[in-house]
Amino acid sequence: MAEIESDQLQRAPLDETKVKNEDEEEEECILQFLDSLDAYLTLVDSLSSSLRQGWFDLASARQSMGHTRISSKLFDHKVHSASTTINIMELNADNPSDPKPQFSLSKWATTKENPSSEVPNNSNLRHRAPTGVLEDGEKSNGTQVSSVVSNDVSLQLDIQKERSKSLTIFGGLVSPKLRTAQVSFETALDKIVEIANARSSMLSSFSQLQLNKKSSS
Amino acid sequence: MAGRAQIPTSNSALIAMIADEDTITGFLLAGVGNVDIRRKTNYLIVDNKTTVKQIEDTFKEFTNRDDIAIVLISQYVANMIRFLVDSYNKPVPAILEIPSKDHPYDPAHDSVLSRVKYLFSTESVASDRR
Repeated sequence: MAEIESDQLQRAPLDETKVKNEDEEEEECILQFLDSLDAYLTLVDSLSSSLRQGWFDLASARQSMGHTRISSKLFDHKVHSASTTINIMELNADNPSDPKPQFSLSKWATTKENPSSEVPNNSNLRHRAPTGVLEDGEKSNGTQVSSVVSNDVSLQLDIQKERSKSLTIFGGLVSPKLRTAQVSFETALDKIVEIANARSSMLSSFSQLQLNKKSSS
Repeated sequence: MAGRAQIPTSNSALIAMIADEDTITGFLLAGVGNVDIRRKTNYLIVDNKTTVKQIEDTFKEFTNRDDIAIVLISQYVANMIRFLVDSYNKPVPAILEIPSKDHPYDPAHDSVLSRVKYLFSTESVASDRR
């Protein structure tokens, strides 16, 4: 009898710790859900602004260039690949029942001429590093710095080439408003990718909360 | 949550669009346009001649393709095929409802927000729609 009572006394704090940990995990999950919900709504609002600016610039370009020069009839229907694509990574690979994809934008990838000039675009701009690029803590010499600079310049030129290619479907000489519309829609794409990630996070934490609710009831 | 199949990780997946002409034009300027060898595009321009069946078929096609990561759909177009959009629950491609020029974004109609809002309310989503 005394042994049973001492067993029960030992188990009680362990059970309390377990419940406390579960409560903390659930609170963390709720916070994550609310954060991603807030991010989702804020980003959608921001996307609306970028799109409005883009539509306005497009309307201005149409007014200066003429309605027939900016029309869906001019869209390129020849076989071609998208220059701006999405990379998908699975963050929850260990738990296939709770998928959490992570999206990142790859803008103006130039695959033909220069495969190393692809510009992935997460929140920080990254460049695919050529050999001999600087590592943290290493000292540079003049040759390394100039190779990095020339690679950057060549990358920017490739990007400009791809941008111009997109504009040329509307003719050789386009209104500056069309260029600003292009920039607005590029900004909108950045926000769209962030919205997709916020959505993924929100749905993942939502499904976790549902599971917790089912297991507790 | 459904969609228990493994998510295909991809390095160059597409953004598909079902929207009005201006929105599609803008995103094509940003470089997302793709035409494959079967001459299929990754976008559908919705105008007053586009039927609901065409929109439904395009939505089903885009959501079943392996090379599409995100489907952008104007919210007013999504409202035409609301049942289909709301019943979609795979993680990839992600369906994002976006505003259009003449129809601002309404969070009350967003399918993702509808799915999660019951956490804040004891009523079901179906009863709100009545």
